[in-house]
Amino acid sequence: MTDPAPSPIGDEAQAHEQARLLAAMAIGEQAALAQLYDSLAKPLYSLAFRVLNNASEAQDVVQDVFVQLWKKASSYEQSRGSVFSWAVTLTRNRAIDRVRTRKRRAELLAESAPDIQPMTLNGGHDSAHSLWLQEKAAAVRGALAQLGPDQQKAIELAYFSGLTQQEIAVTLNAPLGTIKARIRRGLRQLREIIPFHL
Amino acid sequence: MITERQEELAALHAFDLLEAAEKLAFVTELAANPELQVLVAQLAATAATLALSGAQLNPPAELKQAVLAACSASSLIQTDKPMDAKIVSFSFFKLIPWAAAATLALATAWFARESTMLRDENSALRTERQLAEVAYKMAQNQLSSRSLLAEKMIASLGDKLHRAEDLARLKVTALASLAGNTKEAQVIAVWDPEQQLGLLTMEKLPAIADTQDYQIWIVDPAYPNPVDGGVFHVSQDGRVILPFKPAQPVARAAAFAISLEKKGGVPVAVGPIVLLGK
Repeated sequence: MTDPAPSPIGDEAQAHEQARLLAAMAIGEQAALAQLYDSLAKPLYSLAFRVLNNASEAQDVVQDVFVQLWKKASSYEQSRGSVFSWAVTLTRNRAIDRVRTRKRRAELLAESAPDIQPMTLNGGHDSAHSLWLQEKAAAVRGALAQLGPDQQKAIELAYFSGLTQQEIAVTLNAPLGTIKARIRRGLRQLREIIPFHL
Repeated sequence: MITERQEELAALHAFDLLEAAEKLAFVTELAANPELQVLVAQLAATAATLALSGAQLNPPAELKQAVLAACSASSLIQTDKPMDAKIVSFSFFKLIPWAAAATLALATAWFARESTMLRDENSALRTERQLAEVAYKMAQNQLSSRSLLAEKMIASLGDKLHRAEDLARLKVTALASLAGNTKEAQVIAVWDPEQQLGLLTMEKLPAIADTQDYQIWIVDPAYPNPVDGGVFHVSQDGRVILPFKPAQPVARAAAFAISLEKKGGVPVAVGPIVLLGK
Protein backbone atom coordinates (compact mmCIF):
# COMPACT_ATOMS: atom_id res chain seq x y z
CA MET A 1 0.00 0.00 0.00
CA THR A 2 1.16 3.48 -0.77
CA ASP A 3 1.78 6.36 1.56
CA PRO A 4 -1.24 8.54 2.27
CA ALA A 5 -1.57 11.60 0.15
CA PRO A 6 -0.73 14.84 1.91
CA SER A 7 -3.75 16.78 3.03
CA PRO A 8 -3.67 19.95 0.99
CA ILE A 9 -6.44 21.57 2.96
CA GLY A 10 -4.71 22.11 6.19
CA ASP A 11 -2.10 21.28 8.66
CA GLU A 12 -1.62 17.89 10.18
CA ALA A 13 -3.29 18.91 13.43
CA GLN A 14 -6.49 19.80 11.65
CA ALA A 15 -6.54 16.50 9.74
CA HIS A 16 -5.71 14.57 12.88
CA GLU A 17 -8.48 16.25 14.85
CA GLN A 18 -11.06 15.40 12.20
CA ALA A 19 -9.87 11.79 12.17
CA ARG A 20 -10.20 11.65 15.94
CA LEU A 21 -13.74 12.98 15.78
CA LEU A 22 -14.66 10.39 13.22
CA ALA A 23 -13.22 7.66 15.41
CA ALA A 24 -15.36 8.91 18.25
CA MET A 25 -18.41 8.89 16.00
CA ALA A 26 -17.66 5.29 15.22
CA ILE A 27 -18.39 4.43 18.83
CA GLY A 28 -21.56 6.51 18.88
CA GLU A 29 -20.42 9.82 20.35
CA GLN A 30 -22.85 12.40 19.07
CA ALA A 31 -20.80 15.21 20.53
CA ALA A 32 -18.06 14.28 18.10
CA LEU A 33 -20.57 14.43 15.30
CA ALA A 34 -21.57 17.92 16.35
CA GLN A 35 -17.95 18.97 16.36
CA LEU A 36 -17.23 17.51 12.97
CA TYR A 37 -20.32 19.22 11.64
CA ASP A 38 -18.97 22.55 12.81
CA SER A 39 -15.70 21.79 11.08
CA LEU A 40 -17.06 20.62 7.73
CA ALA A 41 -20.60 21.88 7.26
CA LYS A 42 -19.62 25.15 5.67
CA PRO A 43 -17.38 23.86 2.90
CA LEU A 44 -19.66 20.91 2.27
CA TYR A 45 -22.75 23.05 2.06
CA SER A 46 -20.95 25.55 -0.15
CA LEU A 47 -19.87 22.78 -2.46
CA ALA A 48 -23.33 21.27 -2.63
CA PHE A 49 -24.86 24.62 -3.31
CA ARG A 50 -22.27 25.35 -5.97
CA VAL A 51 -23.10 22.13 -7.76
CA LEU A 52 -26.86 22.18 -7.28
CA ASN A 53 -27.56 25.91 -7.17
CA ASN A 54 -30.41 25.10 -4.88
CA ALA A 55 -30.35 25.75 -1.12
CA SER A 56 -32.92 23.13 -0.21
CA GLU A 57 -31.25 20.40 -2.17
CA ALA A 58 -27.86 21.44 -0.84
CA GLN A 59 -29.16 21.01 2.71
CA ASP A 60 -30.50 17.59 1.85
CA VAL A 61 -27.16 16.56 0.45
CA VAL A 62 -25.24 17.79 3.48
CA GLN A 63 -27.61 15.99 5.81
CA ASP A 64 -27.26 12.78 3.80
CA VAL A 65 -23.49 13.07 3.88
CA PHE A 66 -23.32 13.48 7.64
CA VAL A 67 -25.67 10.58 8.16
CA GLN A 68 -23.39 8.58 5.90
CA LEU A 69 -20.32 9.65 7.85
CA TRP A 70 -22.06 8.70 11.04
CA LYS A 71 -22.98 5.27 9.77
CA LYS A 72 -19.69 4.53 8.07
CA ALA A 73 -17.33 6.12 10.56
CA SER A 74 -16.02 2.75 11.65
CA SER A 75 -14.94 1.93 8.10
CA TYR A 76 -12.78 5.00 7.74
CA GLU A 77 -9.05 4.39 7.32
CA GLN A 78 -6.82 7.39 7.74
CA SER A 79 -4.20 5.86 5.48
CA ARG A 80 -6.54 6.25 2.54
CA GLY A 81 -7.01 9.98 2.77
CA SER A 82 -8.18 12.76 5.01
CA VAL A 83 -11.65 13.03 6.49
CA PHE A 84 -12.03 16.29 4.65
CA SER A 85 -11.34 14.61 1.28
CA TRP A 86 -13.73 11.80 2.06
CA ALA A 87 -16.52 14.16 3.12
CA VAL A 88 -15.97 16.39 0.09
CA THR A 89 -16.01 13.40 -2.25
CA LEU A 90 -19.24 12.13 -0.72
CA THR A 91 -20.83 15.56 -1.03
CA ARG A 92 -19.75 16.08 -4.61
CA ASN A 93 -20.88 12.63 -5.69
CA ARG A 94 -24.29 13.02 -4.12
CA ALA A 95 -24.77 16.50 -5.50
CA ILE A 96 -23.75 15.43 -9.00
CA ASP A 97 -26.04 12.42 -8.78
CA ARG A 98 -28.89 14.79 -8.11
CA VAL A 99 -27.86 17.03 -10.97
CA ARG A 100 -27.82 14.10 -13.35
CA THR A 101 -31.10 12.85 -12.00
CA ARG A 102 -32.75 16.15 -12.59
CA LYS A 103 -31.59 16.19 -16.21
CA ARG A 104 -31.05 19.87 -16.01
CA ARG A 105 -27.39 20.06 -16.75
CA ALA A 106 -27.54 22.79 -19.33
CA GLU A 107 -29.70 25.05 -17.20
CA LEU A 108 -27.58 24.49 -14.14
CA LEU A 109 -24.44 25.17 -16.09
CA ALA A 110 -25.78 28.53 -17.17
CA GLU A 111 -27.07 29.30 -13.72
CA SER A 112 -23.93 28.22 -11.89
CA ALA A 113 -21.52 30.13 -14.07
CA PRO A 114 -21.77 33.43 -12.19
CA ASP A 115 -20.36 33.23 -8.70
CA ILE A 116 -23.37 34.85 -7.17
CA GLN A 117 -24.62 33.24 -4.01
CA PRO A 118 -27.95 33.97 -2.39
CA MET A 119 -26.75 33.13 1.08
CA THR A 120 -24.82 35.25 3.51
CA LEU A 121 -21.14 35.14 2.67
CA ASN A 122 -18.89 34.31 5.55
CA GLY A 123 -21.54 35.30 7.93
CA GLY A 124 -21.88 34.03 11.43
CA HIS A 125 -19.22 33.58 14.02
CA ASP A 126 -15.53 34.07 13.33
CA SER A 127 -14.27 30.99 15.09
CA ALA A 128 -10.70 29.79 14.77
CA HIS A 129 -11.86 27.12 12.42
CA SER A 130 -13.73 29.61 10.30
CA LEU A 131 -10.67 31.75 9.96
CA TRP A 132 -8.63 28.71 9.06
CA LEU A 133 -11.19 27.82 6.44
CA GLN A 134 -11.20 31.31 5.00
CA GLU A 135 -7.47 31.17 4.67
CA LYS A 136 -7.51 27.85 2.86
CA ALA A 137 -10.31 28.90 0.58
CA ALA A 138 -8.42 32.00 -0.39
CA ALA A 139 -5.36 29.90 -1.13
CA VAL A 140 -7.32 27.55 -3.38
CA ARG A 141 -8.94 30.44 -5.23
CA GLY A 142 -5.52 32.00 -5.64
CA ALA A 143 -4.16 28.78 -7.08
CA LEU A 144 -7.08 28.44 -9.41
CA ALA A 145 -6.59 32.01 -10.58
CA GLN A 146 -3.08 31.13 -11.67
CA LEU A 147 -4.43 28.79 -14.30
CA GLY A 148 -5.15 30.03 -17.77
CA PRO A 149 -8.80 30.92 -18.38
CA ASP A 150 -9.34 27.85 -20.58
CA GLN A 151 -7.82 25.49 -18.02
CA GLN A 152 -9.72 27.14 -15.21
CA LYS A 153 -13.02 26.81 -17.00
CA ALA A 154 -12.35 23.19 -17.90
CA ILE A 155 -11.42 22.39 -14.29
CA GLU A 156 -14.50 24.12 -12.88
CA LEU A 157 -16.82 22.37 -15.29
CA ALA A 158 -15.13 19.04 -14.61
CA TYR A 159 -15.53 19.42 -10.88
CA PHE A 160 -18.83 21.23 -10.40
CA SER A 161 -21.01 20.69 -13.42
CA GLY A 162 -21.52 16.93 -13.50
CA LEU A 163 -20.99 17.02 -17.26
CA THR A 164 -19.22 14.21 -19.07
CA GLN A 165 -15.97 14.70 -20.96
CA GLN A 166 -17.85 15.00 -24.23
CA GLU A 167 -20.37 17.43 -22.79
CA ILE A 168 -17.60 19.63 -21.46
CA ALA A 169 -16.00 19.61 -24.90
CA VAL A 170 -19.27 20.63 -26.50
CA THR A 171 -19.91 23.29 -23.89
CA LEU A 172 -16.47 24.81 -24.37
CA ASN A 173 -16.58 24.22 -28.12
CA ALA A 174 -13.21 22.45 -28.11
CA PRO A 175 -11.99 19.02 -29.20
CA LEU A 176 -12.24 16.29 -26.61
CA GLY A 177 -8.48 15.77 -26.64
CA THR A 178 -7.92 19.44 -25.90
CA ILE A 179 -10.32 19.30 -22.97
CA LYS A 180 -8.58 16.28 -21.53
CA ALA A 181 -5.22 18.00 -21.86
CA ARG A 182 -6.52 21.15 -20.17
CA ILE A 183 -7.89 19.13 -17.27
CA ARG A 184 -4.66 17.17 -16.94
CA ARG A 185 -2.39 20.21 -17.06
CA GLY A 186 -4.70 22.28 -14.86
CA LEU A 187 -4.93 19.70 -12.12
CA ARG A 188 -1.21 19.04 -12.25
CA GLN A 189 -0.55 22.76 -11.84
CA LEU A 190 -2.95 22.98 -8.90
CA ARG A 191 -1.20 20.02 -7.27
CA GLU A 192 2.11 21.79 -7.60
CA ILE A 193 0.82 25.08 -6.23
CA ILE A 194 -1.53 24.18 -3.40
CA PRO A 195 0.58 21.86 -1.20
CA PHE A 196 3.38 24.40 -1.01
CA HIS A 197 1.14 27.33 -0.16
CA LEU A 198 -0.95 25.75 2.55
CA MET B 1 7.54 6.29 -14.65
CA ILE B 2 4.16 7.89 -15.16
CA THR B 3 3.24 8.46 -18.76
CA GLU B 4 1.31 11.44 -20.01
CA ARG B 5 -1.57 9.14 -20.82
CA GLN B 6 -1.61 7.75 -17.27
CA GLU B 7 -1.50 11.26 -15.86
CA GLU B 8 -4.43 12.25 -18.04
CA LEU B 9 -6.45 9.23 -16.92
CA ALA B 10 -5.54 9.95 -13.31
CA ALA B 11 -6.77 13.55 -13.66
CA LEU B 12 -10.02 12.45 -15.27
CA HIS B 13 -10.40 9.80 -12.59
CA ALA B 14 -9.99 12.45 -9.89
CA PHE B 15 -12.97 14.25 -11.38
CA ASP B 16 -14.88 11.00 -11.90
CA LEU B 17 -14.99 11.70 -15.61
CA LEU B 18 -13.85 8.33 -16.90
CA GLU B 19 -16.37 6.28 -18.81
CA ALA B 20 -17.27 2.92 -17.29
CA ALA B 21 -14.92 0.89 -19.51
CA GLU B 22 -12.11 3.43 -19.15
CA LYS B 23 -12.57 3.47 -15.42
CA LEU B 24 -12.48 -0.27 -15.11
CA ALA B 25 -9.32 -0.50 -17.18
CA PHE B 26 -7.67 2.33 -15.28
CA VAL B 27 -8.53 1.01 -11.84
CA THR B 28 -7.20 -2.39 -12.86
CA GLU B 29 -3.96 -0.78 -14.01
CA LEU B 30 -3.91 1.29 -10.85
CA ALA B 31 -3.99 -1.79 -8.65
CA ALA B 32 -0.66 -2.91 -10.06
CA ASN B 33 1.11 0.44 -10.12
CA PRO B 34 2.09 1.94 -6.73
CA GLU B 35 3.57 5.04 -8.33
CA LEU B 36 0.31 5.67 -10.12
CA GLN B 37 -1.58 5.15 -6.87
CA VAL B 38 0.42 7.95 -5.25
CA LEU B 39 -0.31 10.27 -8.14
CA VAL B 40 -4.02 9.44 -8.07
CA ALA B 41 -4.19 10.05 -4.33
CA GLN B 42 -2.48 13.40 -4.72
CA LEU B 43 -4.74 14.46 -7.58
CA ALA B 44 -7.83 13.36 -5.67
CA ALA B 45 -6.75 15.39 -2.66
CA THR B 46 -6.05 18.37 -4.88
CA ALA B 47 -9.41 18.02 -6.59
CA ALA B 48 -11.09 17.95 -3.18
CA THR B 49 -9.65 21.36 -2.35
CA LEU B 50 -11.69 22.79 -5.21
CA ALA B 51 -14.63 22.56 -2.86
CA LEU B 52 -13.18 25.69 -1.31
CA SER B 53 -12.79 27.57 -4.54
CA GLY B 54 -16.25 29.07 -4.44
CA ALA B 55 -17.72 31.45 -1.96
CA GLN B 56 -18.06 29.88 1.45
CA LEU B 57 -21.66 29.89 2.58
CA ASN B 58 -23.01 29.39 6.04
CA PRO B 59 -25.56 26.62 6.04
CA PRO B 60 -28.91 27.35 7.65
CA ALA B 61 -28.77 27.12 11.42
CA GLU B 62 -31.48 24.50 11.52
CA LEU B 63 -29.42 22.15 9.38
CA LYS B 64 -27.20 21.12 12.27
CA GLN B 65 -30.16 20.07 14.36
CA ALA B 66 -31.60 18.22 11.42
CA VAL B 67 -28.31 16.37 10.90
CA LEU B 68 -28.00 15.43 14.56
CA ALA B 69 -31.61 14.29 14.66
CA ALA B 70 -31.20 12.24 11.49
CA CYS B 71 -28.09 10.56 12.85
CA SER B 72 -29.79 9.78 16.13
CA ALA B 73 -32.70 8.30 14.25
CA SER B 74 -30.39 6.24 12.13
CA SER B 75 -28.66 4.98 15.28
CA LEU B 76 -31.98 3.77 16.62
CA ILE B 77 -32.83 2.18 13.32
CA GLN B 78 -29.44 0.55 13.12
CA THR B 79 -30.15 -1.40 16.28
CA ASP B 80 -33.13 -3.00 14.60
CA LYS B 81 -31.88 -3.51 11.09
CA PRO B 82 -28.65 -3.61 9.15
CA MET B 83 -26.95 -0.50 7.88
CA ASP B 84 -28.14 1.22 4.77
CA ALA B 85 -27.08 -0.98 1.91
CA LYS B 86 -26.23 1.97 -0.31
CA ILE B 87 -22.48 2.50 -0.31
CA VAL B 88 -20.90 5.64 -1.62
CA SER B 89 -17.38 5.18 -2.83
CA PHE B 90 -14.79 7.22 -1.11
CA SER B 91 -11.53 6.71 -2.83
CA PHE B 92 -10.00 4.73 -5.57
CA PHE B 93 -8.58 2.29 -3.03
CA LYS B 94 -12.04 1.03 -2.30
CA LEU B 95 -12.66 0.61 -5.98
CA ILE B 96 -9.65 -1.62 -6.51
CA PRO B 97 -11.05 -4.87 -5.10
CA TRP B 98 -14.42 -4.11 -6.68
CA ALA B 99 -12.75 -3.40 -9.97
CA ALA B 100 -10.75 -6.60 -9.73
CA ALA B 101 -13.91 -8.53 -8.93
CA ALA B 102 -15.76 -6.81 -11.75
CA THR B 103 -12.89 -7.54 -14.12
CA LEU B 104 -12.90 -11.18 -13.08
CA ALA B 105 -16.66 -11.37 -13.43
CA LEU B 106 -16.56 -9.74 -16.86
CA ALA B 107 -13.72 -11.97 -17.95
CA THR B 108 -15.54 -15.03 -16.66
CA ALA B 109 -18.72 -13.98 -18.42
CA TRP B 110 -16.81 -13.24 -21.57
CA PHE B 111 -14.98 -16.57 -21.51
CA ALA B 112 -18.21 -18.40 -20.71
CA ARG B 113 -19.90 -16.70 -23.63
CA GLU B 114 -16.96 -17.44 -25.92
CA SER B 115 -16.85 -21.01 -24.69
CA THR B 116 -20.56 -21.47 -25.34
CA MET B 117 -20.24 -19.94 -28.78
CA LEU B 118 -17.23 -22.10 -29.62
CA ARG B 119 -18.98 -25.19 -28.28
CA ASP B 120 -22.05 -24.44 -30.40
CA GLU B 121 -19.86 -23.72 -33.39
CA ASN B 122 -17.88 -26.88 -32.81
CA SER B 123 -21.07 -28.91 -32.51
CA ALA B 124 -22.42 -27.38 -35.70
CA LEU B 125 -19.17 -28.08 -37.51
CA ARG B 126 -19.13 -31.66 -36.23
CA THR B 127 -22.71 -32.19 -37.42
CA GLU B 128 -21.86 -30.59 -40.72
CA ARG B 129 -18.84 -32.84 -41.06
CA GLN B 130 -20.88 -35.93 -40.23
CA LEU B 131 -23.47 -34.96 -42.83
CA ALA B 132 -20.71 -34.38 -45.34
CA GLU B 133 -19.23 -37.79 -44.55
CA VAL B 134 -22.62 -39.47 -45.00
CA ALA B 135 -23.15 -37.64 -48.27
CA TYR B 136 -19.65 -38.62 -49.37
CA LYS B 137 -20.23 -42.28 -48.54
CA MET B 138 -23.58 -42.25 -50.33
CA ALA B 139 -21.97 -40.70 -53.37
CA GLN B 140 -19.13 -43.18 -53.15
CA ASN B 141 -21.56 -46.10 -52.95
CA GLN B 142 -23.59 -44.77 -55.83
CA LEU B 143 -20.43 -44.28 -57.85
CA SER B 144 -19.24 -47.73 -56.91
CA SER B 145 -22.59 -49.26 -57.91
CA ARG B 146 -22.64 -47.37 -61.13
CA SER B 147 -19.04 -48.29 -61.77
CA LEU B 148 -19.80 -51.97 -61.18
CA LEU B 149 -22.83 -51.78 -63.40
CA ALA B 150 -20.84 -50.03 -66.07
CA GLU B 151 -18.09 -52.60 -65.83
CA LYS B 152 -20.62 -55.38 -66.23
CA MET B 153 -22.22 -53.60 -69.14
CA ILE B 154 -18.84 -53.05 -70.75
CA ALA B 155 -17.86 -56.66 -70.17
CA SER B 156 -21.18 -57.85 -71.56
CA LEU B 157 -20.88 -55.59 -74.56
CA GLY B 158 -17.31 -56.75 -74.99
CA ASP B 159 -18.35 -60.36 -74.95
CA LYS B 160 -21.12 -59.65 -77.40
CA LEU B 161 -18.79 -57.70 -79.58
CA HIS B 162 -16.15 -60.37 -79.26
CA ARG B 163 -18.61 -63.06 -80.21
CA ALA B 164 -19.89 -60.97 -83.08
CA GLU B 165 -16.35 -60.33 -84.23
CA ASP B 166 -15.56 -64.04 -83.92
CA LEU B 167 -18.60 -64.94 -85.90
CA ALA B 168 -17.84 -62.29 -88.44
CA ARG B 169 -14.27 -63.41 -88.63
CA LEU B 170 -15.06 -67.11 -89.01
CA LYS B 171 -15.75 -68.52 -92.40
CA VAL B 172 -18.39 -71.22 -92.37
CA THR B 173 -18.77 -73.29 -95.48
CA ALA B 174 -20.96 -76.27 -96.27
CA LEU B 175 -19.19 -78.74 -98.54
CA ALA B 176 -21.17 -80.32 -101.29
CA SER B 177 -20.69 -83.87 -102.57
CA LEU B 178 -19.06 -84.20 -105.90
CA ALA B 179 -18.94 -88.05 -105.95
CA GLY B 180 -21.81 -90.46 -106.14
CA ASN B 181 -20.88 -92.30 -102.99
CA THR B 182 -20.89 -89.13 -100.81
CA LYS B 183 -24.17 -87.59 -101.77
CA GLU B 184 -25.63 -88.16 -98.30
CA ALA B 185 -22.60 -86.76 -96.56
CA GLN B 186 -23.05 -83.52 -94.63
CA VAL B 187 -19.81 -81.67 -94.07
CA ILE B 188 -19.36 -78.19 -92.69
CA ALA B 189 -16.01 -76.44 -92.51
CA VAL B 190 -15.39 -73.57 -90.08
CA TRP B 191 -12.27 -71.51 -90.67
CA ASP B 192 -10.62 -69.03 -88.35
CA PRO B 193 -8.21 -67.00 -90.45
CA GLU B 194 -6.71 -65.24 -87.48
CA GLN B 195 -5.69 -68.42 -85.75
CA GLN B 196 -5.15 -70.29 -89.01
CA LEU B 197 -7.24 -73.17 -87.67
CA GLY B 198 -10.19 -75.04 -89.10
CA LEU B 199 -12.85 -77.44 -87.89
CA LEU B 200 -14.70 -80.02 -89.95
CA THR B 201 -18.00 -81.48 -88.87
CA MET B 202 -18.89 -84.51 -90.94
CA GLU B 203 -21.77 -86.90 -90.91
CA LYS B 204 -22.44 -89.90 -93.11
CA LEU B 205 -19.11 -89.67 -94.83
CA PRO B 206 -18.49 -93.07 -96.50
CA ALA B 207 -15.88 -95.35 -95.03
CA ILE B 208 -12.80 -95.94 -97.16
CA ALA B 209 -10.13 -98.63 -97.50
CA ASP B 210 -7.27 -98.77 -95.08
CA THR B 211 -4.92 -97.91 -97.91
CA GLN B 212 -6.66 -94.63 -98.52
CA ASP B 213 -7.18 -91.32 -96.59
CA TYR B 214 -9.33 -88.32 -97.03
CA GLN B 215 -7.19 -85.19 -97.49
CA ILE B 216 -8.32 -81.64 -96.71
CA TRP B 217 -7.45 -78.80 -99.05
CA ILE B 218 -7.76 -75.06 -98.59
CA VAL B 219 -7.98 -73.07 -101.77
CA ASP B 220 -6.02 -69.82 -101.45
CA PRO B 221 -5.60 -67.66 -104.58
CA ALA B 222 -2.17 -66.74 -103.30
CA TYR B 223 -0.93 -70.26 -104.11
CA PRO B 224 -1.03 -72.08 -107.46
CA ASN B 225 -2.16 -75.30 -105.75
CA PRO B 226 -4.53 -75.80 -102.83
CA VAL B 227 -2.87 -75.81 -99.44
CA ASP B 228 -2.67 -79.16 -97.63
CA GLY B 229 -4.94 -79.28 -94.56
CA GLY B 230 -4.05 -82.79 -93.40
CA VAL B 231 -5.50 -86.27 -93.76
CA PHE B 232 -8.08 -88.27 -91.88
CA HIS B 233 -9.55 -91.73 -92.19
CA VAL B 234 -13.11 -92.86 -91.80
CA SER B 235 -13.47 -96.58 -91.13
CA GLN B 236 -17.24 -96.55 -90.72
CA ASP B 237 -20.06 -94.16 -91.34
CA GLY B 238 -20.46 -91.77 -88.50
CA ARG B 239 -20.13 -88.32 -87.13
CA VAL B 240 -16.63 -86.90 -87.10
CA ILE B 241 -15.43 -83.56 -85.71
CA LEU B 242 -11.94 -82.90 -86.90
CA PRO B 243 -9.74 -79.88 -86.35
CA PHE B 244 -7.27 -79.12 -89.10
CA LYS B 245 -4.33 -76.84 -89.67
CA PRO B 246 -2.91 -75.88 -93.05
CA ALA B 247 0.65 -76.71 -93.91
CA GLN B 248 1.16 -73.18 -95.21
CA PRO B 249 -0.20 -69.80 -94.05
CA VAL B 250 -3.56 -69.08 -95.63
CA ALA B 251 -4.25 -65.47 -96.48
CA ARG B 252 -7.74 -66.01 -97.85
CA ALA B 253 -9.64 -69.26 -97.67
CA ALA B 254 -11.65 -69.12 -100.88
CA ALA B 255 -12.85 -72.70 -100.74
CA PHE B 256 -12.48 -76.01 -98.95
CA ALA B 257 -12.17 -79.41 -100.59
CA ILE B 258 -11.77 -83.01 -99.53
CA SER B 259 -10.11 -85.49 -101.88
CA LEU B 260 -9.57 -89.19 -101.68
CA GLU B 261 -5.88 -89.92 -101.65
CA LYS B 262 -3.46 -92.72 -100.87
CA LYS B 263 -2.65 -93.46 -97.27
CA GLY B 264 -0.73 -90.60 -95.66
CA GLY B 265 -1.75 -88.03 -98.22
CA VAL B 266 0.02 -86.25 -101.05
CA PRO B 267 1.64 -82.78 -101.49
CA VAL B 268 -0.60 -81.90 -104.39
CA ALA B 269 -4.04 -83.34 -104.84
CA VAL B 270 -4.13 -86.14 -107.38
CA GLY B 271 -7.14 -88.18 -106.29
CA PRO B 272 -10.76 -87.39 -106.88
CA ILE B 273 -12.38 -84.37 -105.09
CA VAL B 274 -15.29 -85.85 -103.19
CA LEU B 275 -16.49 -82.69 -101.37
CA LEU B 276 -16.15 -79.01 -102.19
CA GLY B 277 -17.45 -75.81 -100.64
CA LYS B 278 -16.84 -72.10 -101.09
